[in-house]
Amino acid sequence: MKVLIVEDERKTADYLRQGLTEQGCTVDLAFDGIDGQHLAVHHDYDVIVLDGMLPGLDGFELLRSLRAVKNTPVIMVTARDGVEDRVRGLREGADDYLVKPFSFVELYARLQALNRRGRSQEPTLLRVGGLHIDLIARRALREGQRLDLTAKEFALLALLARRQGEILSKTTIAELVWDMHFDSNTNVVEVAIKRLRAKIDAPFASPLLHTIRGMGYVLEVREVL
Amino acid sequence: MKFLPNSISLRLALMFSLVALAGFLLIGLSLRMVLDRELARQEQEQVQARLLDMRYLLERGRSTDLAQRARDKIETLSSTGRARYWLWSEDPRWRYGADAERLASLTHGRRRVLPLESMALLGVDLPATAVRPAVSLVVGVGTEPFSQTLAGFERLLLPIVLIGALGVAALGYWIARLGLRPVVQLSRQAQGIGPHARRQRLSDEPLPEELAQLGRSFNAALDRLDVAYVQLESFNADVAHELRTPLANLIGQTQVALTRERGAPELRELLHTNLEELERLRAIVADMLFLARAEQGARAAQAVPRSLAAEIRKTVEFFEVLLEEAGLTVQIDGDAQAVIETSLFHRAMSNLLQNAVQHAPRGSRLLARVEPARGMARVSVSNSLAEDLPPEQLTRLFDRFYRADASRAGSEANHGLGLAIVKAVALMHGGSVFAHCEQGQIMVGFAVPTIAP
Repeated sequence: MKVLIVEDERKTADYLRQGLTEQGCTVDLAFDGIDGQHLAVHHDYDVIVLDGMLPGLDGFELLRSLRAVKNTPVIMVTARDGVEDRVRGLREGADDYLVKPFSFVELYARLQALNRRGRSQEPTLLRVGGLHIDLIARRALREGQRLDLTAKEFALLALLARRQGEILSKTTIAELVWDMHFDSNTNVVEVAIKRLRAKIDAPFASPLLHTIRGMGYVLEVREVL
Repeated sequence: MKFLPNSISLRLALMFSLVALAGFLLIGLSLRMVLDRELARQEQEQVQARLLDMRYLLERGRSTDLAQRARDKIETLSSTGRARYWLWSEDPRWRYGADAERLASLTHGRRRVLPLESMALLGVDLPATAVRPAVSLVVGVGTEPFSQTLAGFERLLLPIVLIGALGVAALGYWIARLGLRPVVQLSRQAQGIGPHARRQRLSDEPLPEELAQLGRSFNAALDRLDVAYVQLESFNADVAHELRTPLANLIGQTQVALTRERGAPELRELLHTNLEELERLRAIVADMLFLARAEQGARAAQAVPRSLAAEIRKTVEFFEVLLEEAGLTVQIDGDAQAVIETSLFHRAMSNLLQNAVQHAPRGSRLLARVEPARGMARVSVSNSLAEDLPPEQLTRLFDRFYRADASRAGSEANHGLGLAIVKAVALMHGGSVFAHCEQGQIMVGFAVPTIAP
C-alpha cells in the first residue's frame, strides 16, 4: 500500500512512517500543505493521511484542490474534534476522519479499510490454521470439529478471520460487530473475546486468537517457540 | 441624565440647589410684587393727603386775599422739596406753576395718581366760591424714594437668591455624603473579598434598609459564585488526580526499567504496560473534551428520527455478554419516537447499563424504560441496590469524577465520567437528566425531546 502522510508535527510523522513502513507500506512524507499538495496531485497513492491544520496550505484547502483532480482516498487527522470540523472534512471529500489523540492500530485499520474499498468480492470461505469459516453457511470448524457459536460470536470470529494478521482495536470491533460507534469504556469486547477464545482456542493445542495489550486483538497462526 | 455629574452626592447637591433657586426666586418675585403694590398705595396716600390739605384751604378760605394766601402756603409746602403744586384758572391771578394748564387737563377726572417725569400727579377741579373763580388744583409728589426702594430690593434679591442656593447646595452635598456613608462602608467591605477570602460576606447589620437589600443580593450572588468556584476547583483537582496516577505509573515504570539492562521480553512487557496507562490517559482526555464541547453548547448535529426502544435493544444486545457474566436480565418497557444522534444515544445508554451492571446484585433484573412525558421521552435504567443512596449523593451522581461508592474509586473502566457523559448527551439533545432512589431501587436516566405525533 502506497501512503502519503501530510503532517507538520515531526514526531507524529516519523512514528507514522515507521509504523506503516514496518507494516509493509511505502510511505512518503510532506511537512506542509504546499509540498503535500504537490505530492498528492502529481503522484498516485493508495491512501493519504492528511492533517487538518498545516502551515502553508490548510488541510481542508489541500483536500479541495485534490478533489478537483482525483479521488485518492483521504483520511483526515486533526486535533480539532468539533462536530463542524468533522462534518466539514467529510463534506470536502475526506473518506474518514480521526481525532488526535488516536491509536496507531485504529489508524492502520482504517487505512486498510479504505484501501480495501472497491476491491473484488471477498472470499466466502476463510481459513486460519486449522480453523475453517464458511460465511455463507455461517459455520465454523476447527480441526474438523464443529464450533457452537452464537450469532455475535460468529460475527466476531468472521471479522477477525477476514482481517487475519491485523490487529483490531476494541473500538473497531464494537463498531463492526455491534454497530456501536463510540469510544466505549466498557469491557464488553474483552468479555466477548474471552468467551470466543474459550470456544475456539481452549480445547486445542495452539491458540489462534491473541491479545495485544493496549492495542487490541489479532487472529493468526503463530509459530510455537 | 448624561449632563449630571457621575456622583450621587454632587447630583443631589445640584438638584437641591436648583430646587432652592427656583423656590427663592418665586418668593423673591412675590415679595417684590407685594412691595410694589404697597409703595404705590403709599404714593397715592401721600399725594391725596397733600391734595386734601390744599383743597381745604381753597374751598373753605373766605378772606379776600385768598389767592395770595394760597400762593404763600404753596411756597411753604413746596420748600421741603418733595411736593409740587400747580393752579390753573381762567383768571390769571389764580395761576401757579409752569405748564399748569396742560397738567390740569392731563389729571382731569382721574381718581388714581398719574405718573409723569418721576412725579405722581393728582388733580381736582374746584368750582367757584364767593371769593375766587373755578380753579384746577394739581399736586405732585416725587416718586424717587419709592423707585429707589424697589430698585434696592431688586439689587439685593438676586445675590441673596444665589447665595441661598449655593448654601443649600453645600448643605445638600454634606447631607448626601452623610447619607451615603454606609455605601462607602459597603464598598470597603467588598474590597476585602477575593479568592483568598472567599468566605467573607458583607455584613448587613448596620446598614439602612435600602442597602441591606443590596447587601443581601450581593451576598447571595457571592454564594452562587462560590459554589461554582468550589466545583471548578475540585474539578481541576480531580482532573489532576486522575491524570496523576497513570502519569506516575508511566514515569516510575519506565525509570525502573531503564536502571539496568533488560531483555527484549521485559522491555516489551514495559511497553505494553505503558501503552495501557497511555490508553487510560487518552480515554480521560477524550471524555473531558467531549464534556467540554457539550458544555460549550455543542448540539447533536447528525440527529435522525428513531424508535428509542429499538436503539435501547441494540445497546442491550451489545451488553449481552456482560449481563450474562453478571447473571442479570433486562426488561425493556415502552417506546417513543425522538430525533437523536444514534452514536450519542448508544453511548449514554451504554453508560447507564454499565452503571447498573456494576451495582445490581447478581441474579436481579434491570429495567430499561421509555416513558413519554410532556413532549419529552424519559429514558431510564433501574436496578436494585443493597441500600438506598442518600439524596445528597443522588444529586451529585452526574458530577464529573463523582463516585457514590468511594471504595470503588479507580477500579472502574469509566473513571467516574460515565454519568457526566450521559448528562452531556442529554444536554446535546436539549434534554436533561434525573435520578430517583427508593425502596432499594435506583433509577437513573435522561430525557430527550420527542417528535410531535
